[in-house]
This record gives sequence, structure tokens and C-alpha cells, in this order.
Amino acid sequence: MIARLMTLLLALGLALPALPALAQTGPLRIVIEEGVIEPLPFAAPDFVAENAEAQQYAREISRVIASDLAGTGLFREIPGDAFISQITSFDSPVQYADWKAINAQALVTGAVSVSGNRLVVKFRLFDVFSEAPLGEGLQFGGTTGAWRRVAHKVADQVYSRITGEGGYFDSRVVYVAETGPKDQRQKRLAIMDYDGANVQYLTDAASIVLAPRFSPTGDRVLYTSYESGFPRIYLMDVASAGRRALEDQPGTMSFAPRFAPDGRTVVFSLTQGGNTDLYSLNLSTGARRRLTSAPSIETAPSFSPDGRLIVFESDRSGTQQLYIMPAGGGEARRISFGQGRYGTPVWSPRGDLIAFTKQHKGRFHIGVMRTDGSEERLLTASFLDEGPAWSPNGRVIMFSRETPGAAGSSALYSVDITGRNLKRVPVRGGASDPAWSPLLP
Amino acid sequence: MNTGTYISGLLHLLLIGWALIGGWLSLPEDEPFEVAQVSILTGEEFAALTAPPSAPRAATEAPAPALPEPQEPAPAPAPEPVPDTPPEIAPRPEPEAPAEPDPAPVPPETAPEAEVSDVPPVAPTPPAETPGTALVAEPTPPRPSTRVAPVPAAPPPPEAEIAEDVTESATPSPDAAPEAPAEPATAPEEATTEIVTEAEEGKDSALAPLASARPLARPDRPVRVAEPAEPAAPAEPTEPEAPPADAIADALAEAMGGGAPETSGIGTAPSGPPMTGGEKDALRVAVSRCWNVGSLSSEALRTSVVVAVSMQEDGKPRMETIRMISYSGGPEAAAQRVFETASRAIIRCGINGYDLPVEKYDYWRDIEMTFNPEKMRIK
Repeated sequence: MIARLMTLLLALGLALPALPALAQTGPLRIVIEEGVIEPLPFAAPDFVAENAEAQQYAREISRVIASDLAGTGLFREIPGDAFISQITSFDSPVQYADWKAINAQALVTGAVSVSGNRLVVKFRLFDVFSEAPLGEGLQFGGTTGAWRRVAHKVADQVYSRITGEGGYFDSRVVYVAETGPKDQRQKRLAIMDYDGANVQYLTDAASIVLAPRFSPTGDRVLYTSYESGFPRIYLMDVASAGRRALEDQPGTMSFAPRFAPDGRTVVFSLTQGGNTDLYSLNLSTGARRRLTSAPSIETAPSFSPDGRLIVFESDRSGTQQLYIMPAGGGEARRISFGQGRYGTPVWSPRGDLIAFTKQHKGRFHIGVMRTDGSEERLLTASFLDEGPAWSPNGRVIMFSRETPGAAGSSALYSVDITGRNLKRVPVRGGASDPAWSPLLP
Repeated sequence: MNTGTYISGLLHLLLIGWALIGGWLSLPEDEPFEVAQVSILTGEEFAALTAPPSAPRAATEAPAPALPEPQEPAPAPAPEPVPDTPPEIAPRPEPEAPAEPDPAPVPPETAPEAEVSDVPPVAPTPPAETPGTALVAEPTPPRPSTRVAPVPAAPPPPEAEIAEDVTESATPSPDAAPEAPAEPATAPEEATTEIVTEAEEGKDSALAPLASARPLARPDRPVRVAEPAEPAAPAEPTEPEAPPADAIADALAEAMGGGAPETSGIGTAPSGPPMTGGEKDALRVAVSRCWNVGSLSSEALRTSVVVAVSMQEDGKPRMETIRMISYSGGPEAAAQRVFETASRAIIRCGINGYDLPVEKYDYWRDIEMTFNPEKMRIK
């Protein structure tokens, strides 16, 4: 035995020196787990105008595309002054060396043609350092009046091809436009492009409106209005601006509505007899169902993307916290346990996160947490941040921020879920209660 | 009931008492027995030590050393008479004794040997050589007591002359000498054989894949090990030492002369010193500096990809060889995005060539880089 053991040990001892050599066989292998996080430099030279009518759109479209990409914080546009090459023809070969020289890692080229009120935009995306196109070339058509949407669609494609996730540029935001001092503030519903362009007002300033919410298809909007003197829920068709009240029972107040993912059901809060609970309403049949039955206040419901769960806020524990329950009602499970008060929860379109408003030590925060309440991260902090709304791809959160003082005003801000790229959405006048539409068809 | 209980109790007491008394009685017997063994061994040592070492030097110094040692052991009286008659004769019997001590435990045998002093008549052949042992006994009597027996056992019986040589080379030899030769004989053989085989493979192989070389090397080992054991030194040193030196020389020559690249193709086993950890780290850091994951989706940030690339000798990546060979943690679309960022990183930072040791080109001609952005993900 001892002899065998010695032999074995000896063999191992002799084999060890050989291991390094064996490890060197085949290709050299290294593992890279750290990189850098910085905006990707890209070049978006003016699109080529293929006819005279397209001249006025070519440059504007490329500017909108560049603005969309740079606005995400994930990309950095290389100014045209630095360009060595110029794109004079959509089909001419790309001089990669010229773009490499200015460290452009992505290159967007395109061409615009206009015929009557018909506009066609085609584009290509190149990976400069790999000297290869990223995906096939595409073209979009539309009316000249919709040129910004066409530009947004191109930007969505570029964004998607580089990041691997869907874009959010061709989308709209409905919000409450505010004017006047705080004690006499006028509020009305407005809708705009995600970047603040093309603002349109959906209601007048005769009555206060609150918390508009898009339908899953983006063609309808739910909101709360004090038109009757009490808060009531209304459903509006965006295209026609036609509306109707969903709840009109005397002696009740309904508010905080939100669509179910199927678009056929609405959940909302109803105050009756001094108690506020959650209810669901079938839009087709008008059937109403009570989801909670507690002496506390339950409000701000939001469906999970699969429609099976609802997250809402409640003070049943003594302080305002977040809970999750089945969509049909039932036992609720508390998910927020941090210090402070939690409210206005909104489920991410991806289903993995819940955005919320948190009040703690006199400050308001917009934050996100896992659906089980773990990994809470606060993204913002200010005098008053509230009302988070998810972008269609679940990457960005838009919310309203109010400044203190009698002259304080409310504005819309957006922030990446990483906490980076916090910026104000360029909206004229005051704005609050944003709701983000899905990507437009 | 009580009667039975009493009887049972009494029996148990008797049993316990017997056990205790028995233990008392037996313990002392055992202890003295062990002590006796120790004492016996030391006695042999003395006898053995005095006899064997004296042999070599006996010619000149024999008389003096022989006397003191025999005096110490009381039983020695027998040997004393021996020196009286003929100085050399006395030692003869002693050397024989130490040779047997291997079975060390057997003290009785030594006693008769001591008596063998009577052997003077028999003395003719062995005695002349044995006297040397007495001399050796002078310096090394203390330590080797136990080990001496086993080691000398082998050499003394066969050839007395050999014993002389051994003692000259190392006085403490009786212990070390025998053991040392045994170990080195085996160790160097195997070590050399392995090194030889690898080196040879490295040499020959310029054309052959390692996979084929390994199996060949294994069967060789046992054979060579067996051979060297017999022929010993001559065969071993030549085989083992020569090959590694040649291999290294050849490898260096190839690397320096650029011969390797010509002869070696894909799958060639690299030769020469491998990439150091520092060199690998330098490459890793260089690539990671250009790996921008800022534009990756959260889904892509969970996806790890393995990218293969072939390098030019000037340290620049061959763009056309960059390819994704596997991915994990996410869907293919996400893996493709990660691969694109990885590809850009490799190309961008390698546009002027990575700082890699040219002499080790064989090692980094083909590289597989695993890009894992998991740590870069904000959870």
C-alpha cells in the first residue's frame, strides 16, 4: 500500500509541472468582466435630400434622430464640424477610415424624398469599427405632416439595433397642463410627443383634472375630473376627444383609474360612506366588482403586465405602504418595508420592477423595487417628486417635480432606471401627472 | 428474587475485580517488555556500529577505536579477548552482526556472533574487510542506531569492497547512503522521463497535436522507470537532461528565428515560456478599456459571450476572424448585442496593435475572450 501511495504521489508530483503546459494548449483564454459605461459616439450626417421638396425635411429629420439618441444618455453625437467625410449619396460606399478617425462607432445615413404630401425616409446603420452594416436598410413612409413620427421611428430602429431593447421615441405622453399661481391653478389634459413636441389640449380649464392614464393601445385615456364638483372617472377617446363618465353614483367619489392590460377592465378607487376601496369595472358590461374591503384607504392600483396581479397603496398598516394582491381581489401582501411612506406604485412594462413615490424625512423620491419589494433604489430626491410613469420599453421613468414656494411650479422630468440621465422634459408651462403611451403603430 | 440479585451482583463484582486485578498485573508486564525491546536495539547498535564502520580505516587506525567501544557495553567482554589475539580478527565477527540487525529485533543472534570471536580460524576471508567497521563506529555511533540496521543490511553481505567505497563518500552514509541512492534513482528517472517526453513532444511536434502525444508518453513511463532502476545512473542522466535542454533550445530558436509560425498551423502546440499572468492581465485591461456596455439593455447585461479572434504577429486583431462561439445567460438577440460591443472593443483598442510579447506569439495567435457584463449591471 505504502509503495503504491508513494508511486501515486510521485506520479502527481511529476504531473504537476506539466499542468502549465497543458493549460497553454489551444487558444489563449481571458475573461473580461469590467468595461466602461459611457455614451456611444455616433455620427448622423444630414440625410440626403433626393429631390428639392425633400430639402427642408432632410436636415430636420436627421436632427430629430440625433436628438432622440443623444437624449437617452446612451449615445453621444459627434458634431458635424468634425466630419472628414460627407455623405452625398445614400448608396455610396462608406469611408470607414474617416469615421474611425473621429471615433464614430456608429454611423446613421439616410435619404429623404417627397412627392406631394407623401414623404419617404430610408436609412442605414453602420458599425464603423467592424466595417459592417448593423441590420438591413429600412424605409418609412408617411405624410409630410408626420415627418417627426417618421424620424422617431428611424431613431427607434437605431436604438433597438444597438441596445437590443425596444425604443420609446415614437410614443406620446398625456399629462396635466398647469397654468396660473398655486392658489388659482388651472389644470387641463394635454397630449404631446414624448419629447415635448406637438402639444395638444384635450380639455379646457373649466374644471380640475387629475391622473390621466393611457389605454394599452394608446387610443383612449382615463382621467379624473371635478367637473361635477366631486371627483369622477371619465373615459376619453384621444382621436375625437369624446368622453363619458364611468362612475356616476350619487354620494360617491371615484378616482385613480387604470386600465387592465386587456383594455377591457378598469380598476379604480371608490369612496363611499367615508371608506375607500378598490373596484374593477368591466367597460363592456358596466359590471362593477369590489376588490378590497377594509376600513383603510386603498388606492393607486396598477396591473402587472400579465394582468394577474395588482399593486396598490394602502394605509392599513398605519402608514402608507405598497401591497400586491390578485387581480380578482384577495389577500394582499405588503412589499414595502423601508422607512417613510410609499405611494403611486406603477408596474413596469417588463414586469420586473415597480416604480413608486416615496416620502421620507421631508423629501420626496422616485424609486424602483423588485416586485417582491427587494432591491429598492431611489432614483431622485427633491422637494416634491411624484407620479412615476414608465416608458414603453421600461427603461425610462417620467414624473412630475414641483418646486417650493408660492411661485413654485410643476414640471415633467425623466430619468433612466439606472438613475442616470435625469433631465427636464421641454414642456411649455407647468405640467404634472404624466402617463406614457405604448409605442404608436 | 433477592437471592438471584445478590448472586448476580456478587458475580459482577468478582468480574470487575478480576478485570481490575488482571489489568494491574498485565500492565507492568507490558511496560517492561517494551523497555526491554529498546534496550535490545541499542545493544545491537553498539555492536553493529562498532563492527561495520571500522572496516575502511582499520588498516591504520584500527586498534585505538576498536578498544573504547567494546569496553562500554558490558557484554563486550567477548570481543575484548579477540583484540588481544589478533587485532583484526575481533572485528570480523562484528560486521556480520550488523548486517543481520536488519531483522534488528533479533538480539540473540548478535550475541552468538560476538562469541564467534572464536571464529579466528574461520576468519580468513571476511575479517580483513570488517575491521573497518570498527573505525566507523567512532564517529556515528549515536544517531543511526535504528536506521543503520536496515540500510547496511543490503550492502554489507554481498560485497565488502563496495562498503568501503560507500563509507568514504559519506561517513554518515550507513543511513543516508542507502536511502539516498534509492530515492534519487527513482525520482530522477521519472522526472526526467516526463520532462523528456514533453520536451520531445514539443520538439517533434511541431506537426502533431498534443492529444496524440500524451497517450504516447504515458505508456513509456513505466518502461523507462523499470530500465533505469537496473542500469542506474548512466542511462538516466543522459536521457532526461538532454531532451529538456534541447527542447528549450529549439523552442527559443524557433521563437527567435520565427521558424515556429511557418511550421505550426492551427492546433499547433505552442512552445517556449507561456504567457505570464501579467501579460494576460495587460491584454485584459487593454480590451476592457474599450468595452463600452453603456448602451446595452438590462437583458443584454445579463448575457455573457465568448468571442474568438485571431491575431496578427504585430498584435493587431484580424477583423475577419472575430466571431462569437458561444453565449449564455440571455437570448440570442441580446448575445448579438453584447458580441457587437465586444467586437468593437477588440478592434478599437487593437487598432494599433496590443502590447503582446512577440516571442510568445504562438500563445496568443488565437484568443478566446469571455465578455461577461454581469458585474456592470445595476441591479
